[in-house]
Amino acid sequence: MADGPAPPGPDPVGPAPAVRPFLVTAGRVAPTAAGRPVPVETQVVATVAGLAALDALSFEQHDIVSACRRPQSIAELAARLRLHLNVVRILAEDLRAAGHLTVHVPDTGATHDASVLRRVIDGLRAIPDSRGVTP
Amino acid sequence: MTPTEQLVRGVPAGDQSAVRPPLPVKMVIAGGFGVGKTTAVGSISEIEPLTTEAAITEVAAGVDDLTHTPRKTTTTVAMDFGCITIDPTLKLYLFGTPGQERFGFMWDDIVEGAVGGLVIVDTRRLDDCYAAVDYFEHRGIPFAVALNAFDGRLEHSLEDVRWALDVSEHVPLVVFDARERGSVRDALLVVLESALAASGG
Repeated sequence: MADGPAPPGPDPVGPAPAVRPFLVTAGRVAPTAAGRPVPVETQVVATVAGLAALDALSFEQHDIVSACRRPQSIAELAARLRLHLNVVRILAEDLRAAGHLTVHVPDTGATHDASVLRRVIDGLRAIPDSRGVTP
Repeated sequence: MTPTEQLVRGVPAGDQSAVRPPLPVKMVIAGGFGVGKTTAVGSISEIEPLTTEAAITEVAAGVDDLTHTPRKTTTTVAMDFGCITIDPTLKLYLFGTPGQERFGFMWDDIVEGAVGGLVIVDTRRLDDCYAAVDYFEHRGIPFAVALNAFDGRLEHSLEDVRWALDVSEHVPLVVFDARERGSVRDALLVVLESALAASGG
């Protein structure tokens, strides 16, 4: 099993693996028994305990916790690790329950708050017209 | 394992998490196939657009349904997205919604919680964006329609497009170029201003 402190490298290329998408979730297709799936932008962060337990984790669990040294969205994890979104949702929930990750579901009240929207607007306005690189 | 709502949503006191994540604000970029969604995301995203497979519930579209299959089927489609760090505590995510070239898709899985949407339109193929316009209108999500000016030319005037799409007067209609960072930025700003107005701010 790959085990190193290296952060995620360049994005993988090529087709996503066609096999065992839900094998790793033991056949589960919904993240929770009752709740709705967490939004794709939900932030996931490794805990200190999770990073300490990295060696004991295998395959996808290992890769997810390792990638979450820095906060990642569910969607980024799925793309970077080439896993199905719902597989990431299920595994992230398992890892959260085990104390290896924290899962931060965005509060729509906060994201739709006028002061937050103004900060996004101000941040976007500060973006220059071009990157200074001619394509 | 069914978590309590509190455990999923909140961070318990004395949390062992190493880093506090930013608040993610989500916008959705919709439109027909090949209309420039991924180009627009790539023009402004701070990372190369990433692609993931999203599951989409497809509601059988009546007359087109020759198979007499159950009412809903789940389709897996590619979804492109990017992000912009506003500051260490705030991050904007842009998601390109797939599948809108066909009717009856439900994008709830992707759109849930989005602050706004940008519907990109190719004026040569207006039909492709009806589903997206309808979706945002029905869900009450602030959105703008952006005409992608391929080669700087538009096939129809803004008034004609507004009439053809039958969008409300309050829905902003802009012309933009998906390849130009400043142009994409300004189109997103139009959506955000609508969202801000809708929030009462």
